[in-house]
Amino acid sequence: MGVCPHGDDPPPTDASRDDVVSADANTVALLGAPNVGKSAVFNELTEADADVSNYPGTTVTATIGSVDGHRLVDAPGTYSVSSFSEEERVAREVVLDADAVINVVDATQLDRDLFLTHQLLDMGIPTVVALNVMDEVARDGDEIDVDALEADLGVPVVPTVAVESEGIADLRRAIDEACAPATTPVEQWFDALPDVDASRREAVLVLEDDRPTLERLTAGDARADGGLPDVELPSLRDSIYEHRRRRVDATVDRVREQTDDRRTVTDVVDAALLNPLTGTPLALVGIGLVYLFIGDVIAQRLVDVLETEIFGAHYVPWMTGLVEATVPASGWSEPVRFVLINDTLGLLTVTVQYLLGVLLPLVAGFYLVIGALEDSGLLPRLAVLTDRGMSRIGLNGRAVIPMIVGLGCVTMAVLSTRIAGSRRERLISTALLGLAVPCSAQLGIILGLLAALGAGWWFAYLGVMLLVFGIAGVFLDRTLPGESQGLVTELPRVRRPRAGNVLQKTVTRTKGFLTEAIPLFAVTAAAISVLEYVGALASIVRGLRPLTAALGMPAEFGQILVLGLVRRDFAAAGMTDLALSASQAFVGLVVITLFVPCVLAMAMIVKEHDLKTGLVMWTGSWAVAFLVGGLLAAVVTVL
Amino acid sequence: MSLTTDQRLSGVSGGEQVQIQAVPDERVRAHLLRIGMLDGPVRCRTTLSRGPVVLERNGTTIALGDSVADDITVAECE
Repeated sequence: MGVCPHGDDPPPTDASRDDVVSADANTVALLGAPNVGKSAVFNELTEADADVSNYPGTTVTATIGSVDGHRLVDAPGTYSVSSFSEEERVAREVVLDADAVINVVDATQLDRDLFLTHQLLDMGIPTVVALNVMDEVARDGDEIDVDALEADLGVPVVPTVAVESEGIADLRRAIDEACAPATTPVEQWFDALPDVDASRREAVLVLEDDRPTLERLTAGDARADGGLPDVELPSLRDSIYEHRRRRVDATVDRVREQTDDRRTVTDVVDAALLNPLTGTPLALVGIGLVYLFIGDVIAQRLVDVLETEIFGAHYVPWMTGLVEATVPASGWSEPVRFVLINDTLGLLTVTVQYLLGVLLPLVAGFYLVIGALEDSGLLPRLAVLTDRGMSRIGLNGRAVIPMIVGLGCVTMAVLSTRIAGSRRERLISTALLGLAVPCSAQLGIILGLLAALGAGWWFAYLGVMLLVFGIAGVFLDRTLPGESQGLVTELPRVRRPRAGNVLQKTVTRTKGFLTEAIPLFAVTAAAISVLEYVGALASIVRGLRPLTAALGMPAEFGQILVLGLVRRDFAAAGMTDLALSASQAFVGLVVITLFVPCVLAMAMIVKEHDLKTGLVMWTGSWAVAFLVGGLLAAVVTVL
Repeated sequence: MSLTTDQRLSGVSGGEQVQIQAVPDERVRAHLLRIGMLDGPVRCRTTLSRGPVVLERNGTTIALGDSVADDITVAECE
């Protein structure tokens, strides 16, 4: 370990290759730009279930695995080690603590990705480069001299096609050879370092004006008043970045030969997507297909079979009979029996039927779609198309991603608002998610109920939701202090999603969802059943009667609201059992969509923001839901 | 290659080739610099009406929102 490769005839390079910093790698960080196949490399190396996605910022937290005795940390995708975004801050922490780095480089994007490579070498971090997607280089008609690149950088370079497992065995072997040049040109600026005790990697970041690193270094030197000492940053970022860019350009000139300029099918698709005249209709067709798949094939057909024919006709009667045969209906066991098999939300009957017969297919279906969209690179194109509209509500096009994720699971979407930019944008995105974006489980049931009402009610529902979304967005944009950040996003190549990757992601995410949802569902179901058994549920429903009456809804709608306090989809499912007129069903569906975020989403909002913000959003949802519901009830009565 | 008078990036049309001259926003400048967009001429792939400008250089493509592009000064390459 620690011996750098030696080419036969190394080209001129700034790096000294005879004297290297070697590593006995205990913690190996996996680092690279978004969409370079980093998570695919992680999966291949560790045989674990990390996500493989094609949108900047989807891996906000680091994933950890092990490879040959090393701890492998999959850092968020980043273009350099710095602190401009949440992903970069996480990646910086991972890199600063790593013993070595596997730097995954997209071979079709050498110009862009070698900046990070040179930065890692400047920081003196033992590195091995995985030169990924080499198959696309050949397809583009280009050539890369891997030996020359290895000689130029002074570290091992392993060509890979991670999604095909090519080169992974070589990469695994090369980890122990990770190294870094002992000196690099960045040292010409070391005299400008402020007076702090910094390692080489920290020194480089401080020279590049990375304030969090400086604060990390001066944290122990707090003044008497509790503040940090005034240490000035050297303001050298532009100079160092420009110099590094020249080194990157020189490296690329030496190792890459572009022999052809082929226009592939994906280039044609890309051009069509970025042209509003063709991109907007294509996006609408895509959304229609997604609706057809989730709203019809899964929410209607598959769920019907699972919920009614399998669980309703077979499982529930069987489980009810089993419990009736084993748990006596009298004495202490009577309430237990009630909790387990009551018709409202029996823990072993209706809850299981709902969880596996309704929620599981909907959530898995949504993850399948979102996974394919991520891997295809279509989501950033959607961000471009929607940027103008989103800017009117204080967001930029990137915020369309949390909104789409929110259509799957609002809890996950609250987490993904980290990619939205500033705290202001995160607040707006989170509030809109909590208010007007129904999750897939809820949406599936709502679509089913609306389908039964007719197309007119469906469009009315969609119109009301978009109107509330827009008005709430404009209100938040005008009342929250500060300004939002404009759109700055890379557009990764349009790629055909690989079925294996998409399926793997779907399975991983669905498992994660169920692991989190099952205990919550079980506790909720048991609690609701206990409330019903002791008669408290009826009291709460009576207490809510003035509100439900104002909406023109029957008293039983109060029970739906109680369910909605825990999960919105619980409420939606409960709606299926109520006998309502078309207008009542419409008003009810609008109210439960705008109603409070589920318990998990609320926990996430509090975690990502604070308790006060969470409470404001929670009570705000109550107010908006009943205000809009009351208005609609009045309108439909007049009509 | 010669450069013409400075103009706003938001005013550039699809197909034009420009050299980015000044990026006042520190965050945006650092990002454009590190991905190589300030190394030389960039090609404007497309612009959406009062929407993002999509730039390309050496296979790297980036979209900049209207407000971001309006702050950036470019010179047209002839």
